[in-house]
Amino acid sequence: MGASAPPPDAPLVLVGRDGRKRMVLAADAAAQGFGLHPGMAVAKAQALVAELTVMDADREADDRALDRLALWALRRYAPIVAPDPPDGLMIDIAGASHLKGGEAALLDDLTGRLASAGIHARAVVAPSYGAAHALARFGGGARLVAEDEIADRLSPLPVAALRLTPVTVEGLRRLGFDRIDELAAAPRAPLTLRFGPELGRRLDQAYGRVEEPFELMTAAELVRVVRDFAEPIGAPETLARYTGKLVVQLCEALEEKRLGARKLDLLFHRVDNRVEAVRIGTAKPVRDVRRLTRLLCDKIETVAPGFGIERMTLTAAVAEPLHYRAGASSLVEAAPADVSELIDTLANRIGANRLYRLAPRESDVPERCLSRLAPLAPADGRTWPVDWPRPSRLLDPPELVEAMALLPDHPPAAFTWRGERRRVMRADGPERIFGEWWTRDAELEAVRDYFQVEDEAGERFWLYRAGDGEDPHTGSHRWFLHGLFG
Amino acid sequence: MSARYAELQCASHFSFLRGASSADELFSQAAVLGIEALAITDRNSLAGIVRAHEEAKATGVRLIVGARLVLTDGTELLVYPTDRPAYARLCRLLSLGKGRAGKAKCELHWDDVAAWNEGLIAVLVPDEADDLTARRLRRLADLFGDRAYCALTLRRRPRDHLRLHGLSNLASAARVPTVATNDVLFHHPYRRVLQDVVTCIREGVTIDDAGFVRNRHADRYLKPPEEMARLFRLWPEAVARSVEVAERCRFSLDELAYQYPHEVVEHGLSAQATLEKRTWEGAAERYPEGLPDEVAATLRHELTLIASLDYAPYFLTVDAIVRQARKLGILCQGRGSAANSAVCFVLGVTSIDPGRNDLLFERFVSQERKEPPDIDVDFEHERREEVIQWVYETYGRHRAALCSTVIRYRAKGALRDVGKALGLPEDMIGLLSKQLGHWATEGAGEKLASELNLNMADRRLRLTLELARELIGAPRHLSQHPGGFVLTEDRLDELVPIEPAAMEDRQVIEWDKDDIDALKFMKVDVLALGMLSCMRRGFDLLREHKGVDLDLATIPAEDPRTYAMIRKADTLGVFQIESRAQMAMLPRMKPRTFYDLVIEVAIVRPGPIQGDMVHPYLRRREGREPVDYPTPELERVLGKTLGVPLFQEQAMRVAIECAGFTPGEADQLRRAMATFKHTGGVSAFGGKLIQGMVARGYTEEFATRTFNQLEGFGSYGFPESHAASFALIAYASSWLKCWHPDVFCAALLNAQPMGFYAPAQIVRDAREHGVEVRPVCINASRWDCTLESTDRPGAFAVRLGLRMVTGLANSDGAALVAGRDRPYADIDDVWRRSGAEVSALVRLAEADGFRAAFGLARREALWAIQALRDEPLPLFAAAAGDDGRPPPEINEEAVALKAMTAGREVVEDYQHVGLSLRRHPVAFLRDELAGEAIVTCAQAQGTRDGRLTKIAGLVLVRQKPGSAKGVMFITIEDETGVANLVVWPDIYEKHRRVILGSSMIAVQGCVQREGDVVHLVAAKLFDLSDRLGRIGEKDDAFPLPHGRGDEFHHGSSGSDAREGRGLRIKPRDFR
Repeated sequence: MGASAPPPDAPLVLVGRDGRKRMVLAADAAAQGFGLHPGMAVAKAQALVAELTVMDADREADDRALDRLALWALRRYAPIVAPDPPDGLMIDIAGASHLKGGEAALLDDLTGRLASAGIHARAVVAPSYGAAHALARFGGGARLVAEDEIADRLSPLPVAALRLTPVTVEGLRRLGFDRIDELAAAPRAPLTLRFGPELGRRLDQAYGRVEEPFELMTAAELVRVVRDFAEPIGAPETLARYTGKLVVQLCEALEEKRLGARKLDLLFHRVDNRVEAVRIGTAKPVRDVRRLTRLLCDKIETVAPGFGIERMTLTAAVAEPLHYRAGASSLVEAAPADVSELIDTLANRIGANRLYRLAPRESDVPERCLSRLAPLAPADGRTWPVDWPRPSRLLDPPELVEAMALLPDHPPAAFTWRGERRRVMRADGPERIFGEWWTRDAELEAVRDYFQVEDEAGERFWLYRAGDGEDPHTGSHRWFLHGLFG
Repeated sequence: MSARYAELQCASHFSFLRGASSADELFSQAAVLGIEALAITDRNSLAGIVRAHEEAKATGVRLIVGARLVLTDGTELLVYPTDRPAYARLCRLLSLGKGRAGKAKCELHWDDVAAWNEGLIAVLVPDEADDLTARRLRRLADLFGDRAYCALTLRRRPRDHLRLHGLSNLASAARVPTVATNDVLFHHPYRRVLQDVVTCIREGVTIDDAGFVRNRHADRYLKPPEEMARLFRLWPEAVARSVEVAERCRFSLDELAYQYPHEVVEHGLSAQATLEKRTWEGAAERYPEGLPDEVAATLRHELTLIASLDYAPYFLTVDAIVRQARKLGILCQGRGSAANSAVCFVLGVTSIDPGRNDLLFERFVSQERKEPPDIDVDFEHERREEVIQWVYETYGRHRAALCSTVIRYRAKGALRDVGKALGLPEDMIGLLSKQLGHWATEGAGEKLASELNLNMADRRLRLTLELARELIGAPRHLSQHPGGFVLTEDRLDELVPIEPAAMEDRQVIEWDKDDIDALKFMKVDVLALGMLSCMRRGFDLLREHKGVDLDLATIPAEDPRTYAMIRKADTLGVFQIESRAQMAMLPRMKPRTFYDLVIEVAIVRPGPIQGDMVHPYLRRREGREPVDYPTPELERVLGKTLGVPLFQEQAMRVAIECAGFTPGEADQLRRAMATFKHTGGVSAFGGKLIQGMVARGYTEEFATRTFNQLEGFGSYGFPESHAASFALIAYASSWLKCWHPDVFCAALLNAQPMGFYAPAQIVRDAREHGVEVRPVCINASRWDCTLESTDRPGAFAVRLGLRMVTGLANSDGAALVAGRDRPYADIDDVWRRSGAEVSALVRLAEADGFRAAFGLARREALWAIQALRDEPLPLFAAAAGDDGRPPPEINEEAVALKAMTAGREVVEDYQHVGLSLRRHPVAFLRDELAGEAIVTCAQAQGTRDGRLTKIAGLVLVRQKPGSAKGVMFITIEDETGVANLVVWPDIYEKHRRVILGSSMIAVQGCVQREGDVVHLVAAKLFDLSDRLGRIGEKDDAFPLPHGRGDEFHHGSSGSDAREGRGLRIKPRDFR
């Protein structure tokens, strides 16, 4: 959450839905200090702690974060790592702990690093993952457990430590099986009859009697190509030429993986050990050499080569699957032109946030009836009513005009705009438009009466009077020109 | 001549979430503007028409009855009945559409309009001047002929005049005259904002996203005739025609004449003769040893009065319903203004013997008001549906229906809906509305917001509060009245549209009971009362086990031992006088006769408490204050209640006798008092009352005090007749509890849920009264709790029934009992013979139902049940041995299960039966508590006044009555008894978390004695829920796993480790 995160000492709960009820899924230390706990109804929690911060839990984001953590552990500690949602990591350190100076040192390193990142972690090394899982969560202070200690260590733990379903745990507790040793001592067959084979399997896994398969975490490799130069290069044309070569290589690599680039990072390593970078983005996944080259070369002018560049790397920082499809062979109509290339070019030159498309918005206030959409955003199906004429050009802001009109609701007989007086020959109106009272106080009562008028020359104008012609609260009763009909 | 105009198109807020103004606002505004007639055309509905009718009479603006029909093809028609038959057809038409479409919807086609259009004037509401409109116009002209019109309405949109021009051309081509309308949605321009908001509520969008969903046609308010004439200057004939149409619609609701159903009258006799015949027959039954003279005189007097008012059919209708109930064996009891008459007693409607009480009939039936008398009948809550269905069957669904209840916005709902529409965050809305009590009707104020540290500079928040306040009182939808029946002679759906109710087999009319009152229709309230179920079960048990045959009327009256029990406030479980406040009052009231109970029931009500009548009454009763009456009239009115007005009727009598009100005005005063909270309408009467009293020689100070007392009644005052009926049930249940505590306990448990206390307290109370209570047992329990004989003759033990087992379905319980032709031998036997689901056996095992019969403890029984499969294998069943029992399907090695600790057993008892016959949970903690200088509740009860002490117990009831100015009353319980805590608001605020969040608390405070009643005024409260949770594991060597967050691992199970395993005591909260 970054800067928007609440202060750590404020009571915070994360909430989610369970059927129709909103309930607390997690509570921080401060909230637990007030007696809040997971499983409580949100309303009750709020009743108990007035200053409670309530936020929605995002379990998917939790899982993603756990995956990232697993990736980190994979890079740093051992080749076999698996996330154990919702709150754990499995790391197989067999044959890897010596690199960190032994198991104890590895644990210190791991918990220390996590602590400095603000994550309070409990870690246990045990001969089986089942035992490590249980001891990390329920084992008090255990850290390193040897093969021959497993039974002693596991015995006093509650059955909930065995990774069983809540239903099974509850069933066992009802029958008086609270501790793992009580369960281990009971004959296996009657238990299996009542609770299924899962129970025995979990017990055996904890005691290390059976192997446990894992779904391994693998790091997705980024597609990257590199070019080293014997002699540093610096001329823009040279840079452009080699950029083109790199793009060809990259596109081949992408094609192998059936990917298209969404984001490209081109890095120039200078001889003085500095790095210049160019990044481009595309609206859709792209694997077109010409197009990517052009987008990159457009930006080469921003690169300062200094004393020369000795290495260039091109990385597809974000890549997405790209499958070419056969175009529709319609003989009648041409397929709509693909403007995404144009959009990419424009966006990379002037910035994506300055590129937009106008779309109708449901508002009666003329200056608010347009909204900006991203260039390729799908149309939302909104339209303006066709039978309510609107001028082709709006003046922003509306211009004050001198006008003569009968109150309360007659069109002006004549008006003077930019020094030119026009007689009104025909008029339609008023169209009464109210201020959008929910946006600001000034619009609570504001009214505009719009008239479409035609002068002697046949030119048509869109005029309005601020106010409804009766109540002075609704507007100043001055006249404005707001638009011109084509 | 000035312009004339009648508004023909106007939606009131009974076009739910479309119209934004009430009939009151619309008609007042119309009167101000000089509009001569106003049609209320709600969307497919006549729901608001009675209110409009009343307002029309008050303002002098004529009401044109109408409706806006929205047909399935999108056509919108305004229709107005010209006479009574046409009105009947409109009602039939709407009933038809509603019946077809279901609750709160209406489905009508052109064909229906074709079938029912006679006598109706129709105005087409066109959209654009296009072919569609032309087609509809032709169709309308074909159907309605010279009764068809086309509406011309300005929309304030581009090409308005062009559109009207086109429409009027189309209309003249179809030979349909045009008429100017305004399509009014609200009475005044300022209401536009609220109209936008209700649109958002209706569509479920926020105002920012509303877009074109909002009403886009401007100026939907009432406009004066001159303005209409100016706006429609091109179509003056259309404006003039509005008056013409109004002239043609002469139908008024006053023409609706009500007729009683004829079934009740005996053949060949008039209604009055039938009633007299039944009365004397009933009298002979009620008084088998001879009718006392004074009762006979009373009967004759009442019959004369009934004859003069022509109320006989009404009494006969009530009598018919009560007779049927008696035939079905359903206990019932009447109450209401006419119920406490001798006639009702001899007819069996009530059980209050007029010979022993002097409740004056005239007091309840006012001759001037000409309103039908009011009798509500309470039935056993479990069997009321039978009565309702009987009424439907007997009178037919076209002649009987329930009244509706208009669900109106109250502060909370208004705030919630407006907040949502304005896009406030849900949590802020929750916070705001949570802080409003249920009873708050004034709306959320800025004070509230600032108390909650909300930023009043936030525009949306301010708007929300303002608009929510404006929305309060607006109807939201129609719901079903709990039991108000309307019965007629003719078709009911020709009087008022009927719609199907949300509940199956019910139908409701569109009007609520005030509307019915206003039109002087007859209504019988068929209500449900849990205590009557309990009493009927009690009478059945008495008859069956003790050979005592009684009913409400024959219970020995004025029994001293019963009154002695009541005086000790030993009234847990009995009707009405079991609440905390009532129990506190009993030792001071010291009731000795029935009328004392009547007063007791009436006095502990918000009305008398707020009117500060309790203390004066008690002082006078105790003789500490002289009873004086400034005038003899006042003595006549208030003599029975020692000069203090306690009943609603007394308030009215005071107004009549001492301030010169007419009875009609006094009745208005009563109504004003009932709605005083929203409208403030009572103050107008205040001036009149005080002046009237002063003019009659009372001091101004006395008059003001009297008025304040009356004002305090609000809607909370009890009429004397209600109090008397309730007092009778209170007395009857007390008598049963006093003389037959075993029967009372069983009956009360079987009637649960009802009353203030949970089964645990009922059982505890019974055991304290020497009743043996036996646990649930597979071989002894039936579904209901039953009585079993004991060694002591005449004393019975209560056997808890299977109904007490949490989560056990009635069908499974019945299967278990039905399969028990001989006692079950073991669990396998139960499983095979009962055919009950395995899950049902689990429930029973959890409730410890196999211990007594099979010697199996909870865990052993569960262990055995968990080995069972879904269905017995047929081969094993076929291989039954010599004893007729199949061999067990599985042979397995025995497993020694750990025995539960004593504490755990108690926890399980509470969890699965809701009570424990073992030790009290707090007993397990006693040593620990004693170490902290915490005494028992019993010890605290014996402590001197003013002493500081500390007690602890389970939280039973938390109550914060609206009349107690923020004081909270808590009842806690330990193994020795209960204690009552008083928590003052400042302490409450400080300890809110503890009070609301704990199932067990410790309290430190001062003992306060009032006679026999002892309170502890809390100074500090502590949460002991954790300790309570630990009872289950108390003797275990292993400590609880730390960190609940860890244990709540999977989030989905919904239960927290603590609540799931620990003791669950669900306190009951009343507000």
